[in-house]
Amino acid sequence: MKLRLSSQTLLVLDAFLEQAEEWKYGYDLSRVTGLKSGTLYPILMRLSERQLLETQWEAGEPGKPPRHMYRFTPDGLRFARANAAANAGSGLGQVALGLVEA
Amino acid sequence: MGAPRTLAAKLLRAVVRLAPAESRDWAAAMLRELDFIEGDWAALFWALGSLAAILRHATTAWRARSIKKNKETAMSTTGKKVLIITMGALCLLGLAGCAFPMLLLVPDLFPELRHAWWPLAPIAIAIPVIIIGFAAGFLWRKRGPVAAGILLVVLAVAFHVAVHVAKHQ
Repeated sequence: MKLRLSSQTLLVLDAFLEQAEEWKYGYDLSRVTGLKSGTLYPILMRLSERQLLETQWEAGEPGKPPRHMYRFTPDGLRFARANAAANAGSGLGQVALGLVEA
Repeated sequence: MGAPRTLAAKLLRAVVRLAPAESRDWAAAMLRELDFIEGDWAALFWALGSLAAILRHATTAWRARSIKKNKETAMSTTGKKVLIITMGALCLLGLAGCAFPMLLLVPDLFPELRHAWWPLAPIAIAIPVIIIGFAAGFLWRKRGPVAAGILLVVLAVAFHVAVHVAKHQ
């Protein structure tokens, strides 16, 4: 199934592209993208189901429950970079990211 | 901890408990993030958004499962119908297989009909076919596929007889 690249999905992909090798947390992504949990998590779920994101539970401090983390898979990184390059060429990426007015 | 945050935590714990297996990890992830959210109202809105996300995820998974199940059920129903039609056809063929040798015995059993028999053959065939046709029609309401099997065989035999008669006239 083809992934629908809404402006919100583009925001999430862009957030993951910054320091792509690092694991990211849900709330941090929400703050960076400005997306509410009701919008952010369905996107994370779709990306994960399509094997574009890998997820992991962080082993935190003893006595504290683990935290869920997300990172691009190699496929996801390729997809996001290709998409970013395509959008940068057409200027769509900047519109979707709210950097310029549509 | 303010009331909105307490409510948010309770809500998300309930979501984790009640969520279907495929959504439970995600619900637990959302609950854990609650500890890092500054502001009680922000925590409550986070929980409400999370509830919506889990509901969407669970609904999508449920719909995908029901579509798959419906397809499987439809396939098994079709297979069952084919089997029943075949059974109806085999029943009629068995009946015809028993009746045909009896027709051949008529000249031996009734020697006076030895020469008069063949002109009467179409009538002898037509009467059982009409009876079977009516029986299949009545059977249609209760055992549609069986009736369909019987009618298919009747049609095939009728076609065969029509071709036979056309060729030998």
